[in-house]
Amino acid sequence: MPIDRRLLLNLDWVLLGASLLLCAIGVAMIHSATFSGTNSALYLKQAAVVGLALVAMLTALALDYRRLADRAMLLYLGVAALLVYVLVFGPRIAGTRRWFLLLGLQVQPSELAKVAGALFLAKVFAEMRKDSLSLRDVLQPGAAVAGLMALIAAEPDLGTAFCLVPLFLAVALLAGLRLRAVVSLLVVGLLLFGLGWKYALRDYQKVRIYTFLDPNLDPKGAGYQKIQSQIAVGSGGLAGKGWKQGTQSQLGYLPARHTDFIFSVLAEETGFLGVLFVLALYLLVLWRALEAAQLARDRLGALLAAGLTAVLAFQVVYNVAMVAGLVPVKGLPLPLLSYGGASLLSTWLSIGLILNVRMRRFAN
Amino acid sequence: MRIYEDLRVVQARLALLQNALVVVMLLLAGVFWHLQVLRGRYFKTLAENNRSRLVPIAAPRGPLLDRQGRILVANRPSFNIVVRPEHVEDLDDLVRRLAVLLNVGEAQIRERLAARASPFRPVVIRQDASLADVAALEARRLEFPDVSVDVVPLRSYPLAAAAAHSLGRVGEIQAAQLQLKEFASQKPGDLVGQAGVELQYNRALLGRDGSLRLVVNSRGREVRELDREAPEDGPSLTLTLDQQLQVVAERAFGGRAGSAVAVDPATGEILAMTSVPAYDPNQFATGIDAAAWQRLTSDPDTPLMNRVIQGQYAPGSVFKIVVAAAALEEGLVTPRTALFCPGHLAIYDTVFRCNRPEGHGWVSLRQALAQSCNVYFYQVGARLEIDRIARWAKRLGLGAPAGVDLPHEQPGLVPSSDWKLRTQRVPWYAGETISVAIGQGQVTATPLQLARLAALVANGGHLVTPHLVKAIGSEPRREAPPDEARLRPETVAAIREGMCAVVNEHGTGWRAQLASVEVCGKTGSSQVVASRSKQPISQATMPHGWFIAFAPRERPRIALAVLVEHGGGGGQAAAPVAREILAHFFRETGAPSAPVAD
Repeated sequence: MPIDRRLLLNLDWVLLGASLLLCAIGVAMIHSATFSGTNSALYLKQAAVVGLALVAMLTALALDYRRLADRAMLLYLGVAALLVYVLVFGPRIAGTRRWFLLLGLQVQPSELAKVAGALFLAKVFAEMRKDSLSLRDVLQPGAAVAGLMALIAAEPDLGTAFCLVPLFLAVALLAGLRLRAVVSLLVVGLLLFGLGWKYALRDYQKVRIYTFLDPNLDPKGAGYQKIQSQIAVGSGGLAGKGWKQGTQSQLGYLPARHTDFIFSVLAEETGFLGVLFVLALYLLVLWRALEAAQLARDRLGALLAAGLTAVLAFQVVYNVAMVAGLVPVKGLPLPLLSYGGASLLSTWLSIGLILNVRMRRFAN
Repeated sequence: MRIYEDLRVVQARLALLQNALVVVMLLLAGVFWHLQVLRGRYFKTLAENNRSRLVPIAAPRGPLLDRQGRILVANRPSFNIVVRPEHVEDLDDLVRRLAVLLNVGEAQIRERLAARASPFRPVVIRQDASLADVAALEARRLEFPDVSVDVVPLRSYPLAAAAAHSLGRVGEIQAAQLQLKEFASQKPGDLVGQAGVELQYNRALLGRDGSLRLVVNSRGREVRELDREAPEDGPSLTLTLDQQLQVVAERAFGGRAGSAVAVDPATGEILAMTSVPAYDPNQFATGIDAAAWQRLTSDPDTPLMNRVIQGQYAPGSVFKIVVAAAALEEGLVTPRTALFCPGHLAIYDTVFRCNRPEGHGWVSLRQALAQSCNVYFYQVGARLEIDRIARWAKRLGLGAPAGVDLPHEQPGLVPSSDWKLRTQRVPWYAGETISVAIGQGQVTATPLQLARLAALVANGGHLVTPHLVKAIGSEPRREAPPDEARLRPETVAAIREGMCAVVNEHGTGWRAQLASVEVCGKTGSSQVVASRSKQPISQATMPHGWFIAFAPRERPRIALAVLVEHGGGGGQAAAPVAREILAHFFRETGAPSAPVAD
């Protein structure tokens, strides 16, 4: 189906441009972080993946989101099946099973689960058509999302699993869940966390939380990442040390510097001014995404755009806060900036759907 | 037809979310403002400490030169094989591979690693490694990322044992020394002077250490050099020693134990200083091993002792110069006074023998010195009595350190009635004076003190301060103003004449004679056991032979003292050693002209 000219006029070029600019900055920072290492061509790979992700984005743009949402249940089941598949057949790497290979491409079902989960929740809540929802109303969709979360957490990939929490909360809240219910959900969550701490968390995960609270407990071990990231960020100063000039990054003090800690590299090499610029770009992207939700012609569109934005916003805020040493280190990539195909793909799919909602606000 | 849903609740809550997003982003920006702008300097220091490592570069100690500028002590580059254990993952494996590569026992490497003060301190596995070891290691650089070869200056003593005691040695600073003010700028592990000039002038010889700032990566590996502050070499020390004379003096002993010291009589500059047996200071430069140290310290021939300043021997007949000076100055005798020697003297209920049993007949001072007639000095000594002898001995520099610029100089001993009462709580026994008059009994002196005595006669009665250092860097040593003369010119002249006769007029020191230069001297023998002892004659009971001399007779340029331990009479044992030194000094070879009886 060819895209209508009118639709193109309603495309949010600002959101698209800002997202592309963030990707370009990401490629530049990845180059800086890896050019001296054994994998000096990673930035080219990332640029290629951005191209691929744009194709995915266009696909997500071309189909009317309502048609997609009609198949939300199918998508949900498909993603759940993939999550089960990867748990069983995925290669075990560093104790985790997070992706499998399909036609030479890494498929990471947990990333797809965010998009499919958003479609599913938007569809379910859009059809409730009540102004005020009680806890009982959200029990079923909540359980469905918890199922996905459980499968992702089993990989284990707590960071990505946790991303579904803001998704659910945002969609449920917008769909009319009473604030009192939100509060009681948070209380239940805390209780679950307590139980999880006692029975479900592995030792390395507990150590991460302990050392987050006091990184000097183990400055060469688990606290190392936080300390080194803070040093990188802080030593960047106002204007930064210059592209490819960050000592923390270039000399290998920063862990996972081209993936989860790419923002540290940025902060060290471009300083507070660079940080401010990139944060402003993210704010712009997220603001416009929420605007898309506000402009949406129906509840489905609003809930879909808002849910996807909530996931992105949560990842951005958590990752940036982690780099600053505010929250415990978790393997959460920074959308659009971090190296990694799967995250990039799901982010651009989300952006595609958000654009889709805004683009079709007047369409039938 | 479109059916518009009621989206008011959704939109209101979306607006709420939008505002919340702005607030969160502003908070994050605030956090980064705090980290990067407010605390930026703090984190910059941390990043700088992260990436740079300060490596000290040891400044080479100043070299020691002889009076002609020839090298006595220099520094040579040496290679230390160093392990930085900080980042080693499998220390056992590293030790195994190193042991194979360097062909040493694993235990030896482990021992050194175990002895390190902190797990982060680099450990020297091999000092002064051979080029083969260094090449083997460099070829496998990548296999041994935590092992490096450090170039350090090492003290080298080309003369080896020949001047060991005057030059001294270096060694790692000891814990007790670290407390001392003179080692204030030093830190544990530093090489410092431990004897001789190296110790005495330790501070002057130090340079200023430089440093190297390296960029290191997160694994502690050196990435590149950041900057470098070159070390400043210590200033050179020009010594008064003459390298060749030093070597000649050493050889002249031919393996016997003893010591010799030659000074410039006008200035006190020490031209040669030998104490044998000696040790090779090169052994200490890399740290001496326990077994070698044990051998040196337990050797009965005390190779670590500098006999020139620490050997205290009875001066024997050399002391007759002091007694003669005292008698002349006190007016008891004149050069022309003749006393009779029947071969012995019975006094204080004892018979004291002369060295020539048949007697010397009527002898003047000159003959008494030349023939070393004991009876003459018994008589003079008895009339002087001990306290006058002691006073003059002290006036001539005995009984107190000569003030040489070396550590641990001994004072010798000049006995007096006071001294005996004070130390032994018995009065002086007059018979003892007779022994002291010929330099036996309790009187002792170091070779340096007697060389100073020879210099005093040579320079007209002045006590010089013997010293080894002529200049520090380009700064010449400040000469002490000349001492007032200790003797009247007539006294000096009379003694000189006697000393001249000792060598040149059928005296006891004829073996020191030179063809072209008139040598003046005095022999002596220092009894090891009482003369009437019935002990069998053996090497251990043979007396020490003394010879002190100056030359030439007019305007002397050299004064010396030689002691050959258990060498027998000074004329036989010590005079030939002195002659070799003097012959070299005056560029003369050949044997003495006429053998005459002692």
